[in-house]
Amino acid sequence: MKTYDVVVIGGGPAGLAAAIAAKREGASTLLIEREARLGGILKQCIHDGFGLVRFFEKLSGPEYAERFIDEFNELKIKALTLTFVTEIRKADIGFDIRVVNKNGVEDIKAGSIVLATGCRERTAKQVFIHGTRPAGIFTAGTAQHFTNLLGQMPTKKCVILGSGDIGLIMARRLTLEGAEVVGVYEAKPTPSGLTRNIHQCLNDYNIPLYLSHTVTRVFGDDRLTGVEISQVDENMNPIENTGKIVECDALILSVGLIPENELAESLNVELDPKTKGPVCDAELMTSVEGVFSCGNALHVNDLVDYVSESGELAGRSAAKFSGQSRELIDIKAGKGLLCLVPQRLNLKSDNKETVIYFRSRAVINNCRLTLTVDGQKVFEKKYAFLRPPEMERLMFDFNNLNLNKSSKVQFEIEEGTA
Amino acid sequence: MNAQKLQKRLSKRFGENVKAEIKDGCIVLSGSLTEWEDIIEACSMSVDKKGKMHVVNDIELQGVEIPAMRVPDINDDYLEGEKPDVLIIGGGISGASIARELSKWDIDILLVEKEADLALQASGRNDGEVHPGVDLSKGTLKQHYVRLGNEMYGRVCEELNVPFRRCGQYAGFCQSWLKPIVRLFALQRKYIAGIKDTKVVSSKELRRREPELNPDFRFALYNPSSGVVCPYGLTIAYAENAVTNGARVELNTAVLGMEVEDGEIKSVLTNRGRIYPKIVINAAGVFAEEIAKMANDRFYSIHPRRGTNSILDKKSGYLIKSIASIKKLELHSHTKGGGILHTIHDNILVGPDAVETYEKENVATNQDSINKVFAKQKNTAAKLTERDIITYFTGVRAPTFEEDFVIEKGRKTKNLIHCAGIQSPGLTTAPAVALDIEKMTIEELSKFRKVSRNESYNPYRKGIPVLREMSPEKRAEMIAQNPDYGIIICRCEEISKGEIIDALKSPICVPTLDGIKKRVRPGMGRCQGGFCSPLVTKIIADFLKEPISEVRKSSNKSVIVYGPTKGAEE
Repeated sequence: MKTYDVVVIGGGPAGLAAAIAAKREGASTLLIEREARLGGILKQCIHDGFGLVRFFEKLSGPEYAERFIDEFNELKIKALTLTFVTEIRKADIGFDIRVVNKNGVEDIKAGSIVLATGCRERTAKQVFIHGTRPAGIFTAGTAQHFTNLLGQMPTKKCVILGSGDIGLIMARRLTLEGAEVVGVYEAKPTPSGLTRNIHQCLNDYNIPLYLSHTVTRVFGDDRLTGVEISQVDENMNPIENTGKIVECDALILSVGLIPENELAESLNVELDPKTKGPVCDAELMTSVEGVFSCGNALHVNDLVDYVSESGELAGRSAAKFSGQSRELIDIKAGKGLLCLVPQRLNLKSDNKETVIYFRSRAVINNCRLTLTVDGQKVFEKKYAFLRPPEMERLMFDFNNLNLNKSSKVQFEIEEGTA
Repeated sequence: MNAQKLQKRLSKRFGENVKAEIKDGCIVLSGSLTEWEDIIEACSMSVDKKGKMHVVNDIELQGVEIPAMRVPDINDDYLEGEKPDVLIIGGGISGASIARELSKWDIDILLVEKEADLALQASGRNDGEVHPGVDLSKGTLKQHYVRLGNEMYGRVCEELNVPFRRCGQYAGFCQSWLKPIVRLFALQRKYIAGIKDTKVVSSKELRRREPELNPDFRFALYNPSSGVVCPYGLTIAYAENAVTNGARVELNTAVLGMEVEDGEIKSVLTNRGRIYPKIVINAAGVFAEEIAKMANDRFYSIHPRRGTNSILDKKSGYLIKSIASIKKLELHSHTKGGGILHTIHDNILVGPDAVETYEKENVATNQDSINKVFAKQKNTAAKLTERDIITYFTGVRAPTFEEDFVIEKGRKTKNLIHCAGIQSPGLTTAPAVALDIEKMTIEELSKFRKVSRNESYNPYRKGIPVLREMSPEKRAEMIAQNPDYGIIICRCEEISKGEIIDALKSPICVPTLDGIKKRVRPGMGRCQGGFCSPLVTKIIADFLKEPISEVRKSSNKSVIVYGPTKGAEE
């Protein structure tokens, strides 16, 4: 059985960064990718805007991925592509990973594992769209795959449900390809995507955005012929008799992403119901020692730059992992916070300077992020505004707080700047 | 049946609007009503519980145009002049199983199905339960066939290489005082209906077997002979075995009319030409009545009844290992709330409900159906949640007003055999019904020609290998033979490219996204094809050597993509 210090599962931006970081730490590293090429979802993201934080440049998805793939190749890191992990088992020492590929079935031993498995899109049925089952209902990522990787038009005239970033990007992309985008409909009263995407993808192309509207029914026996759009109330329930039929041949959904953690669950990794990713410490180690998580599998990120950052951290931590015991305390996400990563802190870790990622629960102007330890406020930071679509990041040094295992550590958002 | 008495009762309820008469051995209702429920009520109250007469519904639904049967948009003469010995109309579980049993004989069999695949209506849109038949009354055809069919399942599924699990079924009761009554019911079933294995299990035993079920269940009625099967998988398997044994299956072929002379079908018009069969078998599901009418042999009516099922993520598979539902004391036995079932593919299925409709092909779903079923079934297992739903679908049952099957030779038309009124437990009964239809057909056909055995008949079908279920050694061996078995296309269900290509090479190739999905399951998982549908589309296009834009979801008009983007290659 081949043995590696670190095995990274997933060859998207998180996995690439993790493998590179692990290798740079001197660990023998293997990356497993189920597709034929590295790069993950970036391969189909041919629009620009990637890398502004990291490289101070506007790159396309493939260009951004290429930078990491080049480095990955220079470091001569081993990758198994077109290879699928069917099973991971905790062994007496490390983990046994079973993979399937063209060469057959292989078992691989790993000292530690980085799960960089990305996320999947919420489907039409998960948002309870009813009616017939015609062709022409796509998630935005699927429409993007058809358009950008297969060079095929998935629609001539479409409705986009949900204002997630991929939906906004696809609104522009399909318009550029000559399709008519009737509108983007969002059930929430505020957009789900980045403000810059609302401007660059919708406003610049005169594509209307309808807030507090949703698709309540789809029509068509063979191909989609139209959808019914209704207004929704403050609880996002459709208001009766507000329905109107919009003719279109496609419904494109951008209604949320769900971290993929089926492998993590098979290892009994504890998941955070808020992020739907693993509960991690500041080194991005999950509740199972030796298993690390990063990128969109950890939590849904807004920018790939942060995906790479968490990948690097997870890869580095996985390389350093030696099985030493942890003493964990919770970092609670309190009032006003939608989610916060990491959820735990290891008091035995020598480096407590930590990247914190968080999202606010609602749009809040003039507010403060505060940290309390045992009820005592020890830190606050002012924000002119916080918006749920935009993930916030800050570095925080827990070293001087003299935390012990009974410390109650909690972040929350307070309104007002006073 | 006394027509005058019936008319009196109808008049009392519906005034002058409904007229009843006995015509050609049928109870024919005519007139006009404004509500479909009233028509159902009028017909149901006219049922002759003792005789062989059926209710035929000619009551007009005022102000409503009942949608005509949807017909494929193909029109050619591909089948023009064909002279099969037997023409089977309908590619559901009935038609497919009949085709297979008939393929034991050296005869020319043609099965036509108007949809783009087999089992696209009721046979593919049910819960896949193989019923014990415990709730059926003695004397009905349903009851006659259900035990026979149930007992055949092990063998049939082995021959056809279709997974089947006899998992048992529980009906949970919350009232202890009902226990003696239910015990008596089990005894009555044993001695009267011949269902010997039904028994009452204690709450303690129930909790040991199914710990997630309602802790308030005081006891349960247990039917060990219940099982689960993939209903469309079995239909496809039956049809494939028939084809391998010489039968022909033509999809996208709808029957549009018939030429009947002297009580005999002379020819059958389809959208693909005129066919001249010796015998016609009517297994047309909700449209069996229309077929009977074309054949001048309409003596029953079908009233469509919708049912919606939800499929849950495999993660909720722990909720139940078998089939269960709560039994409540309800006045109306027709208000069905379905049950919870652990499917053969290890999902959880919840449903179905039962809603009368005049639209035979309306399979659009509604949230209301799902909400009602979940509200009831949360009493069966409290941890059941709508959040775990990955998909839902609606099917339309094809009951007669007598709520029993019609399995008999034509009453007025000689060369016609009806397999109609098939609803639950039609999946369970199909293997047994097919044997009887086979007998009737051969008997009739023998009047035309000498019928001999098909010497090369092979009852065994080789299904598509399921790599994810194999031992690592066996899987590696398969991949060594065909490396495509090592390339995973559908991550949720772990389906390889090799399995998809096997499906494309199967005896009844249906090279569509849905066709592949039904046969090897890419797209059946929690991402619902989000990741794999472009990949499967491409594999189909490559296999057909056609542009991607030629691949369909299902029917000829269900276009997936419209052709190249600007400057892209075909």
